Amino acid sequence: MVKSLSVRTILLVFSAVLLLSTSCKKEDDSYLVNTELILPASAFKTKLKTNQQYVAILHANLFQQALSANELYDIAQCIESIGDKEVAREVVISNFMNKPGVQIPTDSAMHADMDKFVIATYERFLVREPSQAEITYFKNFILSDPNVTPELVYFSFALSNEYLFY
Amino acid sequence: MDRRKFLNNTAKIAAGSIIAPYILSSGRLFAQTGSQLAEHVVFVLFAGGVRQQESVLQRYLDDSQGLPYGGNIMNNTFSGAAPTQKIVYGTGAGGPNPIPAILSQSLQAQGTVFNEVSSSTAGHYGGLNALLQGNTANTQGLKSKPVYPTIFEYLRKLGGFPASKIWFVGNGIGNSVPLLNYSNYAGYGPQYGANFFAPTVTFGDDGVTYLSNAKVYHPEDQLSPMYQMKYFLDNSFESVGNTLPLLNNTEEEKHEIKLFIKEMFDKTSAGTIDFPPVADNGDLQTIGYACELMRWFKPALTVVNMSNVDGCHSDFTGYLSNLHRADHGLGHIWDCVQSIPEMAGNTMLIAMPECGRNLEPNSIKDSNQWYAYDHSDTNARRVFGVMAGPGVPSNLQLGSEQTPIGLTTDAVPTIAEILGGPSMKNQVLGSGFIAPGSESWFDRI
Repeated sequence: MVKSLSVRTILLVFSAVLLLSTSCKKEDDSYLVNTELILPASAFKTKLKTNQQYVAILHANLFQQALSANELYDIAQCIESIGDKEVAREVVISNFMNKPGVQIPTDSAMHADMDKFVIATYERFLVREPSQAEITYFKNFILSDPNVTPELVYFSFALSNEYLFY
Repeated sequence: MDRRKFLNNTAKIAAGSIIAPYILSSGRLFAQTGSQLAEHVVFVLFAGGVRQQESVLQRYLDDSQGLPYGGNIMNNTFSGAAPTQKIVYGTGAGGPNPIPAILSQSLQAQGTVFNEVSSSTAGHYGGLNALLQGNTANTQGLKSKPVYPTIFEYLRKLGGFPASKIWFVGNGIGNSVPLLNYSNYAGYGPQYGANFFAPTVTFGDDGVTYLSNAKVYHPEDQLSPMYQMKYFLDNSFESVGNTLPLLNNTEEEKHEIKLFIKEMFDKTSAGTIDFPPVADNGDLQTIGYACELMRWFKPALTVVNMSNVDGCHSDFTGYLSNLHRADHGLGHIWDCVQSIPEMAGNTMLIAMPECGRNLEPNSIKDSNQWYAYDHSDTNARRVFGVMAGPGVPSNLQLGSEQTPIGLTTDAVPTIAEILGGPSMKNQVLGSGFIAPGSESWFDRI
């Protein structure tokens, strides 16, 4: 009798322990968000364009037509021959700007719809849409300085660091 | 805080804020100038693999073609009588008319010649790297940036020289020459690199076609807002782990470079570039533009590369002709230095081949039935060195075939000493990047 009692007691205690361990718990009511790295669209442009790629894309952006393979090769050689590549690119751009056929909106078209102009310029050169902050900056800048022309805006995009990457 | 303490602290903060912008990246407050041996150095990389026999040893055809005609064909560099027979290296059909010497006294008479310098390598790119890195760099690959810092970077980082005062003028864009203006070594690199031009390309036919018709923008009304927009775009651009290799020319320096480019196109078009009297090859045209560059920028260091002599692989006659012209170019550039008021009497000239050429010829014969020479044996590791300028002993010759004195890697500590004094020389030698045994030539003299 004593023996069966002790076995029963042990079983009872064991069951109680089991029940306790699986009983309801107060849920953790803290809510977490997964860690996510948020970067602007431009951050994923990590590959530097070669001189030839740069010139080919620049010409297509400015003239809306491709450069011949020979011209492409020759201009890339010219860039190679100048140590400061920023200076070299600036000289190439200003030569392109002096050629007939460059496709640039007029000053009045830019001022008529600045949002459209800024968005189109970002899409043409940087292959992305601008953020609202970027649109606002350019609109304010264009309005604040009467010397800013579509040509100078295009020049700044063609010379920007982002334009060198894809 | 009492009044005295307040004034004291205010004065210290004001002094700090005034001085801080002038502290160099090396931590030095001012660039060294007081202990300079000269304010300018012209270093000529001479000139594509030069045999000792036809240069410093003045043996002309005697030690190459089995013809008993010796003589000096480098009349601006070395003292010695010219060959009297079989003249093929001058001007005119067949080259019978030697080009008259430009210098009234040879560089040998004006300065010091190291007759027998050991080159670290028998190859061009390794040799050029040794001249500019001060290291034999056995791991240096072709088509890759120097693996160790170059003299350009030492000068800009340790000496605080601005980018527009450090120039490398290449004779073309082949053979990885444009890669030599800075290394990829961590802590050095493009921000301390040299400005570079390959004038025969930049101002040659392609340059005229694609670069000479640049639109001129007003610096304040047009360029200033354009740069402001560019800087906004640059600040907005976050590229993960990518940086642009920029030489860190200031806006003013970039403007000067653009003005120089325009000036060169104008002068090229007008035919007024300061070419040597004979300028019938690429090396001599490069020398002409290098003279213009020195006149414009008055660089602290101008390195000029020549390489036409390398035609010796298949044309010995052409080699003699180009060697004679390389000497002509060397004479012209030294003459040009003397015509620039800021550089005359205040400039050192160093010239040294990056490698020599073989003792034995290959099997190729030229139009004179003379054998050509490659560069791959121990004779190709024998070169000479010439130095002239203020404080350099004149008419001094050091070393011989039996007792070589000097290494091609000596150029880096030598230039460091000229432009930065013993302190910079010791910094360079103690950097851990310089080949063992390298010394400044002033210590060897």
